[in-house]
Amino acid sequence: MKKSTFLGSALLLAFASLLSACNQTNSGPNATTTANPSAGAVSSNSIPIGIALAQTSNVALLGQEGIQGAKIAEKYFNDKGGINGTPIRLVVQDTGGEEAGAINAFQTLITQNQVVGIVGPTLSQQAFSAGPIAERAKVPVIGASNTAKGVPEIGDYVARVSAPVAIVAPNSIKAALKINPKIEKVAVFYAQNDAFSKSETETFQQTVKDQKLDLVTVQKFQTTDTDFQTQATNAINAKPDLIVISGLAADGGNLVRQLRELGYKGIIIGGNGFNTSNIFAVCKALCDGVLVAQAYSPEHPNEVNKVFRTTYVNQYKKEPPQFSAQAFTAVQVYVEALKALDQKSKVTAMPLPQLRTELNKQILAGKYDTPLGEIAFTPVGDVIQNDFYVAQLKVDKDGNNGKFAFLK
Amino acid sequence: MDFTLLLQQLLNGLSIGSVYAIFALGYTLIFSILGIINFAHGALFTLGAYFTYALMGERFGFNGLLANVALPVQLPFSIALILGSVLVGLVGVAIERIAFRPLRRRRADPLLTVVSSLGVALVIVNAIQYLVGSESYNFPVNTYGNLPVAINFGTADKPITIRTVQIVIFAVSVAIMGILTYCINYTKFGKAMKAVAEDPITANLLGIPTDFFIVITFFISSFLGGVAGTLVGSSVSIADPYFGIRYGLKGLAVIVLGGLGSIPGAVLGGLVIGLVEAFVPADYSAYKDAFAFGILFIMLLVRPQGLLGRRFVQKV
Repeated sequence: MKKSTFLGSALLLAFASLLSACNQTNSGPNATTTANPSAGAVSSNSIPIGIALAQTSNVALLGQEGIQGAKIAEKYFNDKGGINGTPIRLVVQDTGGEEAGAINAFQTLITQNQVVGIVGPTLSQQAFSAGPIAERAKVPVIGASNTAKGVPEIGDYVARVSAPVAIVAPNSIKAALKINPKIEKVAVFYAQNDAFSKSETETFQQTVKDQKLDLVTVQKFQTTDTDFQTQATNAINAKPDLIVISGLAADGGNLVRQLRELGYKGIIIGGNGFNTSNIFAVCKALCDGVLVAQAYSPEHPNEVNKVFRTTYVNQYKKEPPQFSAQAFTAVQVYVEALKALDQKSKVTAMPLPQLRTELNKQILAGKYDTPLGEIAFTPVGDVIQNDFYVAQLKVDKDGNNGKFAFLK
Repeated sequence: MDFTLLLQQLLNGLSIGSVYAIFALGYTLIFSILGIINFAHGALFTLGAYFTYALMGERFGFNGLLANVALPVQLPFSIALILGSVLVGLVGVAIERIAFRPLRRRRADPLLTVVSSLGVALVIVNAIQYLVGSESYNFPVNTYGNLPVAINFGTADKPITIRTVQIVIFAVSVAIMGILTYCINYTKFGKAMKAVAEDPITANLLGIPTDFFIVITFFISSFLGGVAGTLVGSSVSIADPYFGIRYGLKGLAVIVLGGLGSIPGAVLGGLVIGLVEAFVPADYSAYKDAFAFGILFIMLLVRPQGLLGRRFVQKV
């Protein structure tokens, strides 16, 4: 029976390889998380800020958008003189889409790159596992795309500029009701293997109840799923007037496409995972009309947003997406907090552990005029923001690209 | 469960299962000739989708080496599908040369072949990611021309719908099964293949060019993998370079369930696993893989040779 023993080993091998294949992490060394206390000041020629976002995996696109925004901020603030004459320097580490990758990236940034603070990670799911590492090492973290409930509560050193879903998400349901006041039955879909989607769907489902609508079905899927035939037909059979989806871009876009192909004609609302122009590549013309709540509008009238928007449009030939604006904002918060700190005592002369702690206090104390509008932080590190929007996906004629059209 | 819902779930199961079936057919063909699993099949499956996408003149994203590149040709889907799959077939032939033949010459342990095919799979997938990035791609909405996107077998009030592309996948997998079964059982070519599978050395002595037949088998299996990958990609989008490899494990379950080396078994196994998954209650959909492998486990205990497999009789 050579064949069967061989098949057994083949199975085992396949399994192991698949696990490793799907877990693309950057191979950071197994550094310990205790920062070296004898490490003195940051070098006086530049101040390193860590960017821990995904450059690979299925969330690479969200991460890429963040990196674009952060890079624009780096150039913009350095052109304005950096931290009272000392430039900042972004150190980018790939987190991939998994928790292990985020942990590696955080450790590398903290111990090897000796950054003063970190922007990231891409997913809330990753924040819950990587955040505590920064907390133990006493390094400030600003989330620029983590919107799940509980992210700022990870610790004293974890804050975010990405407004929580609980505040942003309900706006899209209200907008859908404005478009079609006759909506009664609502079907909700969410990715159950993703912390952010779970958190977001709770908000959506609560809003549906608050608006006295009838939640006819809740369908679950995985972010790695591609075939939604079963969930889609189940939902369509419940005859909803509105479908609300919490997932990421690839799975969410696919789900929209399959719902439309199977004959669903009502309004579709996408969660924050839809907030990327990559969605157009997935569902093409079938994305048209999907509503997505926004924490950022390219049309925000303040000075810093005008510069940010112009720079982004010149470089990438499209309007800046929310994740780029939020990453820009995160870098801006670091720059302004460092500047304020520097005026009290020179940051380049401060020992690194002390600088990280002081910087964290300063971040939470400040007020900032950013592309997102005026923001500040609650004591626990959640963002306080005034302006929210709802956009509708408008697909170009060729069906390959599109834009987010903001509803008045 | 009312009758409409039952029929809908049945259709859902067949549509999920036909994807597994079309994937597993590629495994089966190589296994029936060489008695090994070609783990590079998942990567070839992916490659087929990317090749077809490129030949249709579609543009790649901004993340890879080929950022924003599009081929100067814009072939219609059907021609791009065939050409792309031929290219995948040629890649399959190259893989046979690089990863299988040297080991076969040295009579290496089959496990080594498995490892080398896994290595090839990862090299291909990483090459794709390096060249065109990890973003999702999708075929144009009008890929299937004037066909309706979905067909409703029920009424307007009680719909029983299935997307046309799923019917295409089902039809193609059944057609491939029919053609392969006929060729292997009723043609001279097929008899030669069976002889090679039985005993390559004796076949060679009888004047059958063993190596040539193995290369042809690889070409056909990879070509079919390319077709399957494209069809599945047109149904569920090309999520990322790993999209084909993710079917690899399920494909193994399918061929074990259907019976190792049995071509109709691959299709039947795929459909059975698809049906099992479709009937997993929505609340437990995250655990549908566990259900599928549970079925496989029970099968191995009850009927180790699989649904349509033959018992190995060990001669003393």
